[in-house]
Amino acid sequence: MYLTSEEVNEIALESRLMLTEQELAGAVKYINNFLDALQCFKELDLKDVEPFSFAEAIECPLREDKVIPFADNEAILHESEHVDGSYFKVPRIMEE
Amino acid sequence: MELYELNLLMMTEGLKAKKFSASEIFESCKKRIDACEPSIHALITRTDDTMPTFNENGALAGIPTVIKDNLCTKGLRTTAASKILGNWRPPYDATAWSKLKDAGSILMGKANMDEFAMGNTCGNSAFGPTMNPNDTSLVPGGSSGGSAAAVSAGYVPFSLGSDTGGSIRQPASFCGVYGLKPTYGMVSRYGLISYGSSLDQIGPFARTVRDLQLVMSVISGHDNMDSSSFSDRPHDFSYNEKASVKGKKVALVKEFADFTLDAPIADAMKRTAKILEDEGAVITEVSLPVVSKYAVACYYALAMSEAHTNLERYDGVRLGYTVKDARGIKEMFERVRSHGFGAEVKARIIAGTCLTEPTRCEEYYVAATKVRTLIAQEFTRAFGETDYILQPVTPSMPGKVGEVDDDAMKGYEADLYTLPVNLAGLPGLSFFTGYAGNLPVGLQLIGKRWSDSELLDTGIILENHLGSPRIANGGVK
Amino acid sequence: MAELTFTPVIGIEIHIRLKSDSKLFCSCSTNTDAPANTNICPVCMGLPGTLPHMNHRVVEQGMRAGFALNCGIRPKSLFFRKSYFYPDLPKGHQISQCDLPITTSGYIEVHDADGNLKKIRVHHLHLEEDVGSLHHSASDGRLEGADTSYVDYNRSGTPLAEIVSEPDVSSSAEAVEYVMTLRRRVIYSGASDVELEKGMMRFDANVSMKCSDGRWGHKVEVKNMNSFKALERAIEYEIVRQKKIMLQGGEVIQETRHWNDAKGITSSSRVKENYRKFIVEPDLPPLYIDQEWIDKVAATMPEMPDVRANRYVKDWGVSQEVADVLTDDRNLADYFEDCVKAGANPVRTANWVRTEVLRVLNEKGVKISDFTMKPETLAGIVSRVDGKKLSTTQGKEVFDWICANNGGIDEAVKALGITEGGIAGNALADVIASVIAANPDVIDEIKSGKDKKGKKLKFLQGLVMKETKGQAKPQEVSEAIEKALN
Ligand SMILES: [Mg+2]
Ligand SMILES: [Zn+2]
Repeated sequence: MYLTSEEVNEIALESRLMLTEQELAGAVKYINNFLDALQCFKELDLKDVEPFSFAEAIECPLREDKVIPFADNEAILHESEHVDGSYFKVPRIMEE
Repeated sequence: MELYELNLLMMTEGLKAKKFSASEIFESCKKRIDACEPSIHALITRTDDTMPTFNENGALAGIPTVIKDNLCTKGLRTTAASKILGNWRPPYDATAWSKLKDAGSILMGKANMDEFAMGNTCGNSAFGPTMNPNDTSLVPGGSSGGSAAAVSAGYVPFSLGSDTGGSIRQPASFCGVYGLKPTYGMVSRYGLISYGSSLDQIGPFARTVRDLQLVMSVISGHDNMDSSSFSDRPHDFSYNEKASVKGKKVALVKEFADFTLDAPIADAMKRTAKILEDEGAVITEVSLPVVSKYAVACYYALAMSEAHTNLERYDGVRLGYTVKDARGIKEMFERVRSHGFGAEVKARIIAGTCLTEPTRCEEYYVAATKVRTLIAQEFTRAFGETDYILQPVTPSMPGKVGEVDDDAMKGYEADLYTLPVNLAGLPGLSFFTGYAGNLPVGLQLIGKRWSDSELLDTGIILENHLGSPRIANGGVK
Repeated sequence: MAELTFTPVIGIEIHIRLKSDSKLFCSCSTNTDAPANTNICPVCMGLPGTLPHMNHRVVEQGMRAGFALNCGIRPKSLFFRKSYFYPDLPKGHQISQCDLPITTSGYIEVHDADGNLKKIRVHHLHLEEDVGSLHHSASDGRLEGADTSYVDYNRSGTPLAEIVSEPDVSSSAEAVEYVMTLRRRVIYSGASDVELEKGMMRFDANVSMKCSDGRWGHKVEVKNMNSFKALERAIEYEIVRQKKIMLQGGEVIQETRHWNDAKGITSSSRVKENYRKFIVEPDLPPLYIDQEWIDKVAATMPEMPDVRANRYVKDWGVSQEVADVLTDDRNLADYFEDCVKAGANPVRTANWVRTEVLRVLNEKGVKISDFTMKPETLAGIVSRVDGKKLSTTQGKEVFDWICANNGGIDEAVKALGITEGGIAGNALADVIASVIAANPDVIDEIKSGKDKKGKKLKFLQGLVMKETKGQAKPQEVSEAIEKALN
């Protein structure tokens, strides 16, 4: 066991996921099996290995600083059930 | 012969020669979908109600298609097979789809898939599973199962899927069609709902390799909207009559020799190697020790680390499934995400979060990025010694619909033959080799980065020897 | 027992909006004053399937801001995803260069308590995207007690530079000088306008205390300061709060606290901030900057304001205070130097610009770039006053006349009826005689010896100066009056 169910539950909440008891049990087993499978990395000497970023040298392409307004911001707003006037309305941010 | 049975090339040529009309094609395909869809369930959304206008001068003028439902379609519901996207209608088109549309292709529907492309059975969809058109009791493979099944059952001559760890090649093999996972950077990812961004790539399904070429010639190429798409690479997918494998090296992976394969797959390996040898290729061996032992762990560690950040945007504020009576923002986020995501997705989010926690990041996420470097280096070395690698797509034939493996990691190990290709950004072709009874058997040919068009040339040589797949029965009694 | 002393150890994080027309990763306008949610697109709304596309100009602005802080430029930098859930953050993570930033380290000089120059080291500057803005529906507009919040994503994706200092700051005064100097430098570089009232500069401070008995308090991160004053007050508040805890033998808790500007206090943040290790942004390849580009941008960098001010003090003898005022605005300093280049005395020109030019700009409510008087003209006025061809008063009249009428000096002199060289001798005696005749009671007072402090005498002098339109020399006037009275 790498992680207890309490720890897994805390991670889940950090990801804004509430798990049922059954889901939590499944997640605990899943994570621990998974972490177990990852122990194999320890067999490799990775000290001087560079982390992989892209499959070959590629540079971040840069675009000209030019304003091109998006044609249909209404279509974006239309997709939310939380739009109130021209704003997105959400419940209060501070918790009790 | 019905019109829907024509492959893409025959359809375009017939249309050009005015042997039949686009609306006749449309009607024929629509009828086929009507007939099969109840037993196959390849589509989440159908868009074949009425025939739209299309660009009659495009390379794919009037050709019906289906695209995976993780490709954004302007004004048309796009779900990634997740409840959390609700009835979201993107205000823009994915680049790959907009290129098809510009070329005159007609959308018949959005294909079913595993939720957010996480899975290899197409049974992990909020809209229910897709069935294999060759045998409806079996899975079509995943995650692009709907796209593969639609081509296999003759809904459309070609479709688009996405491949993060085998999601095009494995269902292509299970359904008996050709599928190409292009070199990373060959096709723009703009508008593809991300799973593992550094691994995802869009690619085509078709019933002939030449048809794959046709589609690739339309969808490949640089896109300003995707910073990982390459601007200076040639992408000529025209048919090369003189293509040959004479003197080319085709390697088998030494470490894979010990792994057990289902008999039809092992047999296909032998037959295919023999064909290539007869065509003048040199069959050799390469050693991929790190790949064979560490690729699965490396892949899942990275895919989940990237996935959990890609899925952070689903909070119910701007689009999709939401709740309106939450007392606080945290409660809203928790309820939306807990009810909106399916079980597999939630498990992978938690795993990804866990791996990237400050206390575990070096040990898992960073280590995995380093293992990936070793894997990429190993392939670079191997491709110094060979032109192609020939290997299975999966060790076993498709399983039953609804069968769930108790140990998720075991299921993941089935991806060993496909996911290294994504880790190294290589192109991989899943090709048809024949039938074992009722079921198609596919194999995989892997090439160097940017060798996609030669890979397809070689695929045509194989197709000439092995024969093309037939249209599957599609569950029609 | 010796009395305990405490040394504050303060590090400052600053977010500055960089100047660009379009956002960092999309082509939306950066105008955040537009009606809510009008400058948005699929990319800055983080819609599924969208990808970032980097703005060329922002890279240059980052380099400029970096140069302004004496930082070097890294040839290869990288983007990361910094995760947290908040409704103003569309993707649930911010794209930021936090782990491999565009610049290396630098520094800013401030004055310590003894007035000596002290370096505040800048750890680095990195590029990142801003979040949307939240409006709260509680009566005072604050987070606490608000039932609902309204989100406007116009600001989402606008480019920011985050500047992280080393914990070298030891007082609120140093903190304020650090951020003010930094702001002026960044404005000079052209990387940003840093309009404070538009929230273009925001501060967080890490405050801890070192006690003379060897105890070290935990670090407290204070957030939500949007003005120099707020930064100063928040740091002062924390210093007092932490000192009190440590004096009572308590332990300062390591935490994040929010500055409440209305109440003037910091309070423990109830929202748990979970800092995850950042993963590499897979949608953005590394940012490469070659030496040629670095050199090209470096060549456009102006002399920095504090360096400039120090040069005025050291080379020209201008007072520090005046030099600071002149260099506060790059164009004003340019104007001043152009005057000096045209041959005027630097100290006197500095005073002229400081008092007269700024007065006129203030009155008219315009900027120095809108000031019509050529530097050569002002240099001419200063030189003539210097050479006693014009009295100071005449010089000012000429200055005002030119400001109002846009002519040359000679034209002004003619129009004002000034005889260059001034009124003296008999002409002056005539004026004095008429002033004396017109003020018999003042004369009586002086003659009776009641004017011990010479106030009445000064009054007469003033009347004469006024009558001569300032064309007489004060010394001569005073002598002549005394002669006339005796
Ligand atoms: Mg920041
Ligand atoms: Zn935008």
